[in-house]
Amino acid sequence: MTSYAPPTYTCPYCRMVNNDDGSTTCPRCGAPVDIRLRISNSGWCKQPAIRDMARLRFSRSTCQISGAYVPVAEMQLHDDDWVYFSHHVLLHTEPRVRMDSLRMQGGWNRIMAGMPLIMMRAQGPGFVAFSADHPGEVLAIPLEPNQGVDVVEHQFLVATGNVGYQWHNSNIWYTTRSGDETEWHYPVGRFIDRFIAQGMPGLLLLHAPGNAFVRDLGHGERILIQPGGLIWKDPSVQMFLHFEYPRGQYWFSSARWQAKSIWLTLQGPGRIAIKSVFEQPELNGSVVRNSGATTQFW
Amino acid sequence: MDRIECQWCKAQNEPERTSCDTCGAPLDKRNLVTDSGWSEAPRLRDMTEFRFSNSTCQVESEIVPVAELALSPGDAVFFEHHVMLWKEPAVPMAAMNTGGGMKRTLGGMPHILSIAQGPGRIAFSRDATGEIVVLPLHPGMELDVREHAFLIGTHSLNYSFVRIKGLTNLLHGGSGMYMDRFITQNYPGLLLLHGYGNVFQKTLQPGEKMLIEPGGFLYKDSTVAMNTIQMDIKTGMLRRGMYLAEMTGPGRVGIQSMYVHHGSE
Repeated sequence: MTSYAPPTYTCPYCRMVNNDDGSTTCPRCGAPVDIRLRISNSGWCKQPAIRDMARLRFSRSTCQISGAYVPVAEMQLHDDDWVYFSHHVLLHTEPRVRMDSLRMQGGWNRIMAGMPLIMMRAQGPGFVAFSADHPGEVLAIPLEPNQGVDVVEHQFLVATGNVGYQWHNSNIWYTTRSGDETEWHYPVGRFIDRFIAQGMPGLLLLHAPGNAFVRDLGHGERILIQPGGLIWKDPSVQMFLHFEYPRGQYWFSSARWQAKSIWLTLQGPGRIAIKSVFEQPELNGSVVRNSGATTQFW
Repeated sequence: MDRIECQWCKAQNEPERTSCDTCGAPLDKRNLVTDSGWSEAPRLRDMTEFRFSNSTCQVESEIVPVAELALSPGDAVFFEHHVMLWKEPAVPMAAMNTGGGMKRTLGGMPHILSIAQGPGRIAFSRDATGEIVVLPLHPGMELDVREHAFLIGTHSLNYSFVRIKGLTNLLHGGSGMYMDRFITQNYPGLLLLHGYGNVFQKTLQPGEKMLIEPGGFLYKDSTVAMNTIQMDIKTGMLRRGMYLAEMTGPGRVGIQSMYVHHGSE
């Protein structure tokens, strides 16, 4: 008797292998499977919005994405499953869902960096839903065991219980001086979150204001992005600052104070994701020290 | 020939229509309901037109939609003056005193609502990405709405406001100190709300409870009881307790996905 393995396909967005059960969306990341990849001429791939009411599966639970402007992630949690999140993204919950707090280490530093000191945990069974407070997209990042991603702070929406959460210094900074005062700037945030799936596959949901785009960087390949535009990157991707001074070859040039561009250099290998809505870094003042940067005078 | 029932407002429509004549909801699209029973408010197509009394309303664009009214003589709508986007010069304006002056001042609500009377055209929009929610109200209905969320109400609606009861509601409820209350008596009315982000509605059965983030509350039938409850969860180094709005049926509850925080931070 001959047995046939069910047909499979690899989702071009999350790179996970799924059984081809005829579904029109990837069960791991929610991306539509019946559309063509939309890649710009320069190689950025538009992350397609998760279709209204698309369901993602994780462990024995599901996550349904609804809405288009500020999408809602509604979890139907199985008894044994739990998720964690920052309390301000909770939208609604059934009373039977058990909630408690998940204390994070490094409290003082987290407070100083404006990050939540305490995460909340929701334990099944029951429905619980989350949404952010900016128009944008929900990004679902399924993680294989021991796979991790680095996420810029304040993009995190919710993660499954088996996804480990660490945070570390972004080590991207520069200082400017005004009179006797030295000002410190952290254009990608003082800290960066690292999420790693432990023991079994996990699911990480992020919310990106605006639209999201992803691309792969080859070994040593570099690209400059607005520091505030980064959403996430593979841990293998290196980052450092890059300053550009149009007409700024003289130390007394006003361009040195005003007309500079501050870029974040990302160097492969690995995947990166950016968003189309971002905050501009502070451009006033002469850069005195930095965390390590390249400089270009035009 | 069978008429088509609108899944959002339950009005009957001629079979050839593609959008509801009463609320503008697409009739040729399935109602989108999440697994837990929240219905997405219908996404009105650009330039969708529907009728109320002898007037019409056309909803334009999608990101920050505009409601453009063609008012007939004898029809009127009331609204907070800052939501008016444009109007024809000849459209007469009047003011509606809401009463409760000092209380409304303390609650951050406008003393006076504006009234536009037909005939003529006038358009309204709010100031954030979101959806216009069209709520036709049948005679005898009462609806409570988060303050600063209503766009327009038709003249057949009675307007009042209710204080959100309980000190914890005032301090931590997140939806403001007062709610607008709209009541229909002998005639149907139409209420247009602007929800931030996306809007969802759920009908609670008698005694059924749902906890929602207070900043996400948008509207409810007056039969739905709203209480603020404190979760015994630490949310910060010095903060204990997170406040959620407990809604108890029967009745409809509407929420918005992009919400504002007040006391829950």
